[in-house]
Amino acid sequence: MSTPDRFQDYNLDERVYDEMFLPAGEPREHCQRLFDALSDFSGEQLASVQERVTRSFSNEGITFTVYGDEEAEERIIPVDCIPRLLPKAEWDFLDAGLTQRLRTLNLFLQDVYGDAGIVADGVIPADVVYECPHYRPEMRGFTPPQGTWVAVCGTDVVRTNDGFRVLEDNLRVPSGVSYMIANRKATKASLRRLYRDSRVQEVEHYGRLLQETLLELAPDGRVNPRLALLTPGVYNSAFYEHMFLSREIGAELVEGRDLIVRDGFVYMRTTTGLQRIDVLYRRVDDDFLDPSVFRSDSVLGVPGLMDAYRAGNVALANAPGTGVADDKSVYAYVPDMVRYYLNEEPLLENVETHLCRNSEDLEYTLDNLDKLVVKRVGESGGYGMLVGPHATPAERAEYAEQVRADPNDFISQPTLDLSRSPCLIEGNFEPRHVDLRPFILHGRKTRIVPGAFCRVALRRGSLVVNSSQGGGGKDVWVLQD
Amino acid sequence: MLARSAQGLYWMGRYLERADHLCRLLRLQAEALVDRPIAEIYNGWNRIYSCLDRQPPGSGPDLFPGNDGDSNAGMLQVMGVPGTAAWQRSGGDEYTLADSFTLADDLTFERSNPDSVWNCFAMGRENARQMRHCISAEMWRSLNLAYLRIQQVDILDIWNASPEAFYVEIDADIDNFMGVAAATMYRDEGWHFMQLGRYIERAQLAVALFLAQTELFPPDYTGASEGSESDWIVLLRMYHAVEAYNRAYSVEVAPPQVLDLLVTDPLLPDSLCRSLDVAAAELTAIAPGPDRGSDAAARRLAGRLAALVHYDWPDTNDQRGLLTRLETHCRELHSLVSAAFFDYAHARPAMP
Repeated sequence: MSTPDRFQDYNLDERVYDEMFLPAGEPREHCQRLFDALSDFSGEQLASVQERVTRSFSNEGITFTVYGDEEAEERIIPVDCIPRLLPKAEWDFLDAGLTQRLRTLNLFLQDVYGDAGIVADGVIPADVVYECPHYRPEMRGFTPPQGTWVAVCGTDVVRTNDGFRVLEDNLRVPSGVSYMIANRKATKASLRRLYRDSRVQEVEHYGRLLQETLLELAPDGRVNPRLALLTPGVYNSAFYEHMFLSREIGAELVEGRDLIVRDGFVYMRTTTGLQRIDVLYRRVDDDFLDPSVFRSDSVLGVPGLMDAYRAGNVALANAPGTGVADDKSVYAYVPDMVRYYLNEEPLLENVETHLCRNSEDLEYTLDNLDKLVVKRVGESGGYGMLVGPHATPAERAEYAEQVRADPNDFISQPTLDLSRSPCLIEGNFEPRHVDLRPFILHGRKTRIVPGAFCRVALRRGSLVVNSSQGGGGKDVWVLQD
Repeated sequence: MLARSAQGLYWMGRYLERADHLCRLLRLQAEALVDRPIAEIYNGWNRIYSCLDRQPPGSGPDLFPGNDGDSNAGMLQVMGVPGTAAWQRSGGDEYTLADSFTLADDLTFERSNPDSVWNCFAMGRENARQMRHCISAEMWRSLNLAYLRIQQVDILDIWNASPEAFYVEIDADIDNFMGVAAATMYRDEGWHFMQLGRYIERAQLAVALFLAQTELFPPDYTGASEGSESDWIVLLRMYHAVEAYNRAYSVEVAPPQVLDLLVTDPLLPDSLCRSLDVAAAELTAIAPGPDRGSDAAARRLAGRLAALVHYDWPDTNDQRGLLTRLETHCRELHSLVSAAFFDYAHARPAMP
């Protein structure tokens, strides 16, 4: 086939799944329209599409905060204007798999803070659960409203030639959903005709679904329950998202200093006095939530909040203690949990994971450091990990020492060939590795908008998609048919 | 509404009003640089610094050996005084004009000057950013775009082309923002707190400017005053009042009449009496704050402020004395509003 000039440097690699092209170089069926449109654009048109997308972010002030030596800087996340397309059938599969997974994880949390049948039945070792730093003994014996521990989940899904795999469940305070919506608004406005013709499923009603979900958690008998979103404040890197969501769901955007607990109820300070809050969508980590229960040096939290919560006078989303279920060691057992709680086979598979706490796994990991990605159990955001194939022998040796010193703190996984998607790089199309973070809501039932925040490793050859590590984003179009 | 949000909107209103006021002063000053005598330029800078209660950069005892001291407290010292030997030695015209560049930079872009246009605008925008969920999307967009434009220029960019055009643009940006606010913002308490901040600030700035003006050019109530007619026309232009003045009085400018118009004309959008009337009305629209003592005191004081300009000003023999009282009351009003609505001690919860 004759590829247009701007695809001439587009290298296909049979080991890596390409989101747009078949291995032979033909566009995938559902990408034909996008391919034709991209091929028809002149260089100026493409540049102007990209420029409009970028400008829309800066004009709207959609920023995240980066802390330098001197002062905090508002930065714009780099956005690539070429959408990633998912056909309906693939999305429906993901939807079912993600729903199954979140149901399971909520059952797991209810179990491990209750009778811990899964431990008693030997499906998961006791120490994996109870030695996890995110296990909160304070939550033992508690049942949150609707049994919903995780109301908002952002699951990282990657694709290889073997299909979709869950890389990570984010069950504490997942972020990025505002970028999903901002990417959609910007991309839609810049690729108007293509968007219309492509028949894309909507994502912009996410706020409504989130509001419905949160209201389902309100204490019984409350008429017109009041929502508030608890943010660590304007210096938090996700502040834009907090502000955006509070607006979308009609919640007050509060900081810990705006709240007080009196007689077991949570109130916010308004210009007319104190007003009760029924549901708190908290975007503050467990550690900082209530200085009288968790970290006593927290200035972000609200003393007494946990008492009000345990008394059922306020709902928290997500519940404290959910981190035990997205721990990198516990992760390895999620497929077994699905079988245990639901008596079903998991639809979405995990990435093969070696727990260095097991001696064979440790040995395997140390013997194959040059092929593996090794991660610290307690870290997230791409920090503290070793990408074996990209590291120098010296770096691997140094990392091996750390692993040996505290094997429980490490897991290893094969270096995945994350799928790639075309990006506009200096006027040409080049493949870049991508992942996918859909957002799953669960109140009385599960709700998922058909879309995701797609993170892109914009540096050539890089596999790291985190925005703190040079990653960017792009829109995901889930097609209607 | 959340107390901290109300406070943020109140400060957003104050900071943007402050930026707007200084921009208008600087615009007139930039225009004066083209064709006015050096003495008038000198007086113009003095008026601005005195109104801000700020010392110009680089001012120090060694820079003005010819200055005759006591009567010039708070005066612009960096240029020396026109006509004196020291000023002559330093190069006269050239010196004053070159210095204007430094002063304009100090007042416009200087990051360490909390009152610079840049800082006031950035603070207004930062309050808006933190309270974005309380204002309309259109307001945020209009303010953020203006902010991004200011970010891209410095004093060198504006100075050699047309500094006044830059100030006109910022002034228009803020007017535009307020227009967008009027057209799109939900009229909840957030709106009223924004307006309250804006009009308290406007009243306070006007009073400070009138005090600076009457200190520089004490009117003698025969219609004459030190300083030229154009020193007073600047004041009329500052508050969009030239046409109103011409209609009400005559084209001949008499300082006491200028002050009367700017203080008492209820039809003039920038008049002091209108600012105070609006501030009192905005306060009336706000539900009582939890600190009932401060709340009631704030409402009484807002009424008293308006009464002072409506009923005391026309009969007073001591306009400067009255202006000083107004200045103090404006500060007190700010403190009472803060105590009543923002910084109150925890009151009893409303019924759950």
